Amino acid sequence: MSKDSRMRATINQKLTEMGERDRLKELLRAKLTECGWKDQMKAHCKEVIKEKGLEHVTVEDLVVEITPKGRALVPDSVKKELLHRIRAFLSQHAT
Amino acid sequence: MSPAGCSHVNGYKVDNWKQNLRVIYQCFVWSGSAETRRRKAKSCICHMCGAHLNRLHSCLYCVFFGCFTKKHIHEHAKNKRHNLAIDLLYGGIYCFVCQDYIYDKDMEQIAKEEQRKIRSAVLIQVTYTCSRVNQTPCLRGLINLGNTCFMNCIVQALTHTPLLRDFFLSDRHKCEMQSNSCLVCEMSQLFQEFYSGHRSPHIPFRLLHLVWTHARHLAGYEQQDAHEFLIAALDVLHRHYDNGKKANNPNHCNCIIDQIFTGGLQSDVTCQVCHGVSTTIDPFWDISLDLPGSSTPFWPLSPGGDGSTVNGESHLSGSTTLTDCLRRFTRPEHLGSSAKIKCGGCHSYQESTKQLTMKKLPIVACFHLKRFEHSAKLRRKITTYVSFPLELDMTPFMASSKESRMNGQYQQTVDVLNNDNKYSLFAVVNHQGTLESGHYTSFIRQHKDQWFKCDDAIITKASIKDVLDSEGYLLFYHKQFLEYE
Repeated sequence: MSKDSRMRATINQKLTEMGERDRLKELLRAKLTECGWKDQMKAHCKEVIKEKGLEHVTVEDLVVEITPKGRALVPDSVKKELLHRIRAFLSQHAT
Repeated sequence: MSPAGCSHVNGYKVDNWKQNLRVIYQCFVWSGSAETRRRKAKSCICHMCGAHLNRLHSCLYCVFFGCFTKKHIHEHAKNKRHNLAIDLLYGGIYCFVCQDYIYDKDMEQIAKEEQRKIRSAVLIQVTYTCSRVNQTPCLRGLINLGNTCFMNCIVQALTHTPLLRDFFLSDRHKCEMQSNSCLVCEMSQLFQEFYSGHRSPHIPFRLLHLVWTHARHLAGYEQQDAHEFLIAALDVLHRHYDNGKKANNPNHCNCIIDQIFTGGLQSDVTCQVCHGVSTTIDPFWDISLDLPGSSTPFWPLSPGGDGSTVNGESHLSGSTTLTDCLRRFTRPEHLGSSAKIKCGGCHSYQESTKQLTMKKLPIVACFHLKRFEHSAKLRRKITTYVSFPLELDMTPFMASSKESRMNGQYQQTVDVLNNDNKYSLFAVVNHQGTLESGHYTSFIRQHKDQWFKCDDAIITKASIKDVLDSEGYLLFYHKQFLEYE
């Protein structure tokens, strides 16, 4: 594994161990609902299902379709806030 | 995606499959305890490439973790003919034969239960972090029925205690009491009223009547002590919880009151001769703190006292802080030659020191500042300003931190990594006036930074400064991080 991915793995371990990952997830969920992102994604999913037909569509189809759009539509303010929190957490728990 | 589930799960549903599935959810999907989180952090990586991203899935038939995106779990499924895997991010079950996520009713049931457990635990922390969360408005004034402001303040504090609210709104009390005199039922009703969305003030006459019935010493239209009311209310709720069945067995109670409010206070008595320590642990619902200016001497602040910003309290030159009071409460106290204790080690009466520390912290910690002095000679109110913080760390007062403290000297060993002892202020009850005639009001917190002043039927917006500058009589703190056990 490259040095970069090893660092990611270590950070992830620390976040998971201290329960911070779960808290960040909940925070992100709330923020994305608040700013309307969740509703946008829901609408997009409905379009995809209409396109492919309810009987034939798989979860995989949806994932492939909405992942790029979902990633792009996350507001910068939300990204900033989460990044800030992660940084704050890491600086508090640096080893 | 068939709503009827798929037949391929039948091969999995044998023996103790339900318990096995629960363990997988608890350990790898929705970890609720420190131990499961540690295990998850270490072991949840792909067995083929070591990555923790890429939609990691766990095989349901054996211990194998593999990426979904990179098809590592697919390879495993093909090689071992293990056709079921679980998505570690969302808990969905994937069937490799159907090539889609499937929804089996039994498995869904288990997933929902496990998810609910962790959701409520994590949610408490987040309620105070987001500035806007989907919550129905729940602020209503309470009509004063004749000096009942003491009751109104406590009701406001209790209806805004998160876990208590969750309990009562999810209708978990099944009443078996004959008459209409169950206080738990009445509290349930009260919560329903508060969260009904109505804005008009509520008239709590039924509650008042029930309190008079069950706590005779509080009956009558005279002004009562809000703290006494709190304890009486908690006591009656605790007794009525099981409809009086459990009677006198305080050690085996698992009622909602005990779960939320009960902490353990450790008392260590050290013999000055043989240094043997005798320890007892008593349950408590609140901590009553002596104040400077009372007839009991207040311990002078330690030399490093003016630098005491352990809890970020404003230390206007010379003013006392809540932390000071807690330090005094947990200081070692020489019991003197007139109060010798029979020492089990020396087998005789010896002088000793006594020290109180927190053994177990309650989820909601209520601090009672002893402002009303009822000694033999005088009855008066102590109006000394005590500053209290928005966030409180109880670590220095724990029994476990005691070893780092020498007799009378306070050492700061604030453990930043330990989040278990961190609390957030969510309600303050204040008393204005004198011992003879006074009025109770309260400050209640909603969401992260919104505070409201509740003066009987009148609710107004308040600033954090208003709250922190107030005198403070009863301070309600809520644990910031909850573990699900």
